[in-house]
Amino acid sequence: MFASSWLILLFPLLGFIGLSWYGNRISRKLVGFVGCGTVGASFFMTLVTLSNLLFLQPEERVGQVQTLYQWISAGSFKLNLAILVDPLSVFMFLIVTGVGFVIHVYSVGYMHDDPEYSRFFAYLNLFIFSMLVLVAAADFFFLIVGWALVGLASYLLIGFWREKASAVLAARKAFVMNVIGDVGMVIAALVIFETFGTLSFVDVFASAPDQFRPNDDAMLLITMLLLVGAFAKSAQLPLHTWLPDAMEGPTPVSALIHAATMVTAGVYLIARCHVLYELAPYTMYFIAGVGIITAIFAGSMAMVQYDIKRVIAYSTMSQLGYMFLAMGIGVYSLGMFHLMTHAFFKALLFMAAGSVIHSLDGEQDLRKMGGLQKVMPLTHATFLIGALALAGFPLTSGYFSKEAIILSSYHAEMGNIVFWAIAVLTAGMTAFYIFRVYLFTFFGKLRSPEAHPHESPMIMVAPLLVLAALALLGGVLGPWVDSFLAPVFGHVAHPHDNALETIALIAGIGGIATAGLLYMVSKQRLDLFKEALAPLYDLLLHKYYVDEIYDYLIVRPTKAIGAFLEQKAEREGVDFTVDQVGLQIKEVSHVISLWQSGKVRSYALNMIVGVVTILMFVVFM
Amino acid sequence: MGQEFVLLVSASIFCVGAAGFMIRKNPLIMFMSVELMLNSVNFLLIAYSSFLNSLDGQIFALFIMTVAAAEVVVGLAIILTIFRTRHDMDVDHIDTLKG
Amino acid sequence: MEIATVFNFTHDAVIFAVGMTAILASLGVILCSSPIYCALYLIGHMICLALLFLLYNAEFLAVVQIIVYAGAVMILFLFIIALLGGKKEVQENTFHRAMAFAFVFILLGELYLSATVGTTQPIRGEIPAELFGTAKAIGLELFSKHVVAFELASGLLLVAAVGVICLAKFSFAPLRRRVR
Repeated sequence: MFASSWLILLFPLLGFIGLSWYGNRISRKLVGFVGCGTVGASFFMTLVTLSNLLFLQPEERVGQVQTLYQWISAGSFKLNLAILVDPLSVFMFLIVTGVGFVIHVYSVGYMHDDPEYSRFFAYLNLFIFSMLVLVAAADFFFLIVGWALVGLASYLLIGFWREKASAVLAARKAFVMNVIGDVGMVIAALVIFETFGTLSFVDVFASAPDQFRPNDDAMLLITMLLLVGAFAKSAQLPLHTWLPDAMEGPTPVSALIHAATMVTAGVYLIARCHVLYELAPYTMYFIAGVGIITAIFAGSMAMVQYDIKRVIAYSTMSQLGYMFLAMGIGVYSLGMFHLMTHAFFKALLFMAAGSVIHSLDGEQDLRKMGGLQKVMPLTHATFLIGALALAGFPLTSGYFSKEAIILSSYHAEMGNIVFWAIAVLTAGMTAFYIFRVYLFTFFGKLRSPEAHPHESPMIMVAPLLVLAALALLGGVLGPWVDSFLAPVFGHVAHPHDNALETIALIAGIGGIATAGLLYMVSKQRLDLFKEALAPLYDLLLHKYYVDEIYDYLIVRPTKAIGAFLEQKAEREGVDFTVDQVGLQIKEVSHVISLWQSGKVRSYALNMIVGVVTILMFVVFM
Repeated sequence: MGQEFVLLVSASIFCVGAAGFMIRKNPLIMFMSVELMLNSVNFLLIAYSSFLNSLDGQIFALFIMTVAAAEVVVGLAIILTIFRTRHDMDVDHIDTLKG
Repeated sequence: MEIATVFNFTHDAVIFAVGMTAILASLGVILCSSPIYCALYLIGHMICLALLFLLYNAEFLAVVQIIVYAGAVMILFLFIIALLGGKKEVQENTFHRAMAFAFVFILLGELYLSATVGTTQPIRGEIPAELFGTAKAIGLELFSKHVVAFELASGLLLVAAVGVICLAKFSFAPLRRRVR
């Protein structure tokens, strides 16, 4: 039935290998064609798989494990290279290949003048392949393989402009943070293997509910360890600092990896393992708490940043916080729905911002933009749609997904009023900061006189239009997503509470209005306002000093210990010992080599000495 | 004469040969010393073949002679070649294998 | 004194005398400084050994010893000495020399000690006394029991002959001399 599903993974891999080997020898046009074509083919195969899946009865749609190859068979431990085809993975396939394809096409325009065009597309294809491995994995082992591979691809792409020191540093930071998560994942997998004796999703999830009571210690341990990986990958508090820095990479990378796909891997992980998480309600509360705190934390930081991409990056963190909140309160399909709409509108926002940056020759500072509304009408329109969707304006896709989560945070079984209140507050902030960016960018006068903005080429605008349509209309897919994912998660209740919905709506529109109000007041008054709120403003501008705290608490002690160990243990311990072993052996062998004189007669003497010694034993013993 | 005499004579000749190999520098004389050692062993084999009333010792000695003859011929040819290339008859100067 | 006793005494005396001569001749080989004298002492030593072979019932091998060793091999030695020039060798007293003598004496002592273990018993009646050591007996033994080894030895001689021809015929360019 799904015999051809593995082709989904194959195409991007072939693209990666082909572009790595032959990328420099073929024309740029062909590079772009291969880069997009492989992902497009992959998307097509996803559609084929989807249609196959839809032909099945809903109850038959779960757990189609497609074994490709038996990789390891050691005693009771068997490891198959297998992909899992079920609604959840196909849903993720759709987002990854669909949004990925659109962003690939956009990259053809955005990276048009880059000298290392083929390397960029090779990395992008590698990323798509890795992400597909991650979501297609049928066991924890290949999940971690994909997990680490996307980390690698992210590292390569953030540091793509390798001559830029800040990009390389940001790449390193992202990689280190992700590796912290990887370690958590690996330990979690080991604990799972120890506990269940298998790593296969199907077997683990089948046996977990029978083996463990809720809040069993083993379940809490496993879920918390998995959560380390999820938090690191999805930039949730305390492991979030890498995501804003990751904006040093090219904008399509930010759109693809750090908005639409990779950062949602943590959400996917929790959705995939929801059977385990349901057995650990304490962890669920923890997830919801961290998610909502991250949402407001990132949202507040986004309000004062001046770098257009950083604002959107913080907003990504904030929206991921919403998804974690949805996971934590058990409304998985709503979380996945928000993941999908977020992929649409956040990729759209990033790409529209990229279009702006592109036309201003790499300028990212909001204070130097402005007045682009007339010059770039299509970009303006699409950005506005994305901003409305993000702010949750009625009838856009973001409205349906975010409102549902906010409502569920009170009405769901595990929800409470605190979650709801913070969520609403964050929704207001979201509307505020995105419209602040919008107004700064597109209204007023251009504040950098030497720039010559222009509308981006069609190959960049067309993807924007596609995504704008999805961001605008994606909301209608809500019921379909719910029923499509129902075989995995079961149906969620859709509460209706007009009062709460109205309050949330007012919060959103209020945010937009505040942004407009602040934009319209004069500069002097704004400065007075800033003066009044100076401590708070500083705190937000410096991102709550988290980087500095990490620097003092972790980086500096580690460096000090490292320097100490380098001097004492490395130089005077290990190196000294190794050197001395070598030197002494050299000395001794020099002495011994004198023995080897090259003279036949002394060899004969040695032989006689040997004979004498042996005979000594023979005669006297 | 008893077997001790044979053993003593043989051991003496062998040791003389061994000493000669080590103290002389002329390769020809070193070769002669090797011949002395081989001959001492031959003598021992033949004497014991007589004591034991078995011909195996003599056969053995015959083969040793054969091999020794071959060895002497090849060895002398090598010495000759070395002398032709180096014009030097001191074995201590041939130490290319020095470690 | 009975005739047999006299004969035995004479026999032993001859063996003793010839054995001592062989040892002295071997000492001459290693102590003479001129190679030509060494070679002559070695011929004497070979003849003494041939006599000893004869006295120990190995008439065939005695003849082979004379022909092969005292004849062919020693002639070869003398030729080479004639070719290369019989320079006298200066004997110096070095540490190496002292060590060599010391260890050779220890070796000699150990061999003497190990020689006094005891006598071995002869294997009776295998070969008739009158045939022992003759060419016929050796030939029978050689071509019945040891025919493979015999053929291998002939192969060895052939290889040696070819090798010597190669070494002697092809003139080698002077080897690269090691730079000191």
